[in-house]
Amino acid sequence: MDQDGTSNSNSFSNRLIASVEDLKVYFHSKKGLLHSVDGVSFDIVDGEIMGLVGETGCGKSVTARSFMQLVQTPPGVIAGGKIRFKSKKTGNQIVDLLSLTENQIRELRGERIAMIFQDPGKALNPGLTIRAQIAEVFQEHRENDVFEKAKLSHVLKGFIGVVLKKYMRQETNLFIRLLLFFPPIRSYKKKLDKAIDKLVTEALAETQIPNPEKVMERYPHELSGGMKQRVMIAQAIACNPDLLIADEPTTALDVIVQARILDLIKELQKRHKTSVLYISHDLSLVRKICDRVAVMFAGKIVETGNSDDIFKNPKHPYTKGLIRASFMTHERGKLEEIDGINAT
Amino acid sequence: MALVDQKKIIENEPIYDSAFKVRLTRNLEILSNVLANPTTVIGLIIVILMISMALFAPIITEPNTPDPYQMPRDWKAARSAPFTPGHILGTTNRGGDVFYGVVWGARTSLKLSLLVVSLTLVVGVIIGSIAGIAGGKIDEVLMRIVDVFLSIPELIFALAIAAILGPSFTNIILALVVVFWVKYARIMRAQVIRIKQREYVDAAKIMGASNLQIYLKDILPNSFSPVMVQATLDMGNIVLVGATLSFIGLSEAGIAEWGVLVSEGQAGISAGRWWASTFPGLMVFLWALAFNLVGDGLRDVFDPRTETKR
Repeated sequence: MDQDGTSNSNSFSNRLIASVEDLKVYFHSKKGLLHSVDGVSFDIVDGEIMGLVGETGCGKSVTARSFMQLVQTPPGVIAGGKIRFKSKKTGNQIVDLLSLTENQIRELRGERIAMIFQDPGKALNPGLTIRAQIAEVFQEHRENDVFEKAKLSHVLKGFIGVVLKKYMRQETNLFIRLLLFFPPIRSYKKKLDKAIDKLVTEALAETQIPNPEKVMERYPHELSGGMKQRVMIAQAIACNPDLLIADEPTTALDVIVQARILDLIKELQKRHKTSVLYISHDLSLVRKICDRVAVMFAGKIVETGNSDDIFKNPKHPYTKGLIRASFMTHERGKLEEIDGINAT
Repeated sequence: MALVDQKKIIENEPIYDSAFKVRLTRNLEILSNVLANPTTVIGLIIVILMISMALFAPIITEPNTPDPYQMPRDWKAARSAPFTPGHILGTTNRGGDVFYGVVWGARTSLKLSLLVVSLTLVVGVIIGSIAGIAGGKIDEVLMRIVDVFLSIPELIFALAIAAILGPSFTNIILALVVVFWVKYARIMRAQVIRIKQREYVDAAKIMGASNLQIYLKDILPNSFSPVMVQATLDMGNIVLVGATLSFIGLSEAGIAEWGVLVSEGQAGISAGRWWASTFPGLMVFLWALAFNLVGDGLRDVFDPRTETKR
């Protein structure tokens, strides 16, 4: 491992997009150290949908959040391990996500790795229109694209370019706002707005939202749950990321919408050749959508394999119990017990 | 067949209006909610009357002194009762026109409350945000300082500071700013802590937004409404406390301010000259009442917990 967080270890095969190695995340609590994620290792092959299943509280979400350095420290502690990630944009450079600085990870977030949340109602800012929320991604990561789309690449250099760039990054102050009011900058600004509008509409249309131009002007509370989740997905795939982390994206939705969202994720994954880490506790969903599955229990991965193999002949007793439990919802019977892993 | 129809329905879905219409109906809805409460409407009317009185003071009573905020003295007509020609509300025993004082006092009060509220708002919001976002030791230190400020009753605290600084209107403003910022810091901190744990803040982080952007776009706008309600309530309270300080004599003497006027007329009350204290006193009362009514109304609308009450 070099100082700057890059490494070229041989164990990272070319087929992989990301690989988690012996990840340990602990939390300080009143009762002592909680081993939330305790030595988790799995690989995500480029272009596949990898499932991560397990019961509530087994550390799935913490694992996912570690990808983005979103685990709060304190009370959390990253006790060890590596998450290696191949950034396709920067010449397949392999970086360790856990050792990146705040600024380095910020460049990856949204641009190369994106995330869809469990409850779309909570993950959208209630005070901003859908347009503003999706535009943020483009303003942050696709500045040049926006300028190109607005056919304004020629003004990028020089004073006007500086002003417009500030406008794009929303670092406006009174002086810049005043400048934006006068031609020709005013007309440039309008062109930029139109270009952003177009990009946002395209992103929304890709998630099969009807009437994207109108939905754009709405606030989150005016949309249904399914629509909000589509907006979240549009936001996540707006920059065409290499890895999409879906943290139980359909839990808050009803069954029919759930099926549609799943189809959408699968279709988008195929079209953009994005790799997906799909986190869920719902085995039937995972079986439907994932190529490979890792089963997690009490902070550890107990079984990994092709999803068909795992569902046909589960090897670990926990997996067996989990599969049995999920298919006996209508026949009341005793839940199968297994001996727990002592988590201290 | 059925599929085609369904597609058509989705495309022509009528629930989508134009952006302008959406925004307009939304704002009208908030306005109608505010106006649904009759006490709020009464408060709002008084507030509008008071503010227009303050704004149009030079038109209502023309100043004839070089400094319009100084009471004009008509020594010959001192101690005249209400409805004497030229002095509708009478004069004080030092010849100050009560009507002039009442009208220009509204201007002074508006100046006082706006200045103090905006200054305290800025200071409180900045300190509260720092405490809420930084957390840990910084939060602890800042909040203990706030606790110290809160532990002293606000009137007595303001009185002490104004007395130390010496009697002047500017010093009253300073004293009130020192006393009133703590509430905003408290409210803002609580709000920031609540909002920063929301998932959309994480979502913004995941999109690669910088901390400043997250603060300005996600945290600040969503945590601002309780602060605004408090500001409306304080618009009334500050005039009340300010009038008290002026009454005691911590403001410049002879200024057109309700508290000063009350204290000027105080000596005449026992001799039966009630008017010089009553009218400005009534104005202070109405001002504080009106802003409290409006503030309560706004709180009912913005705070979802009180919604079922009406």
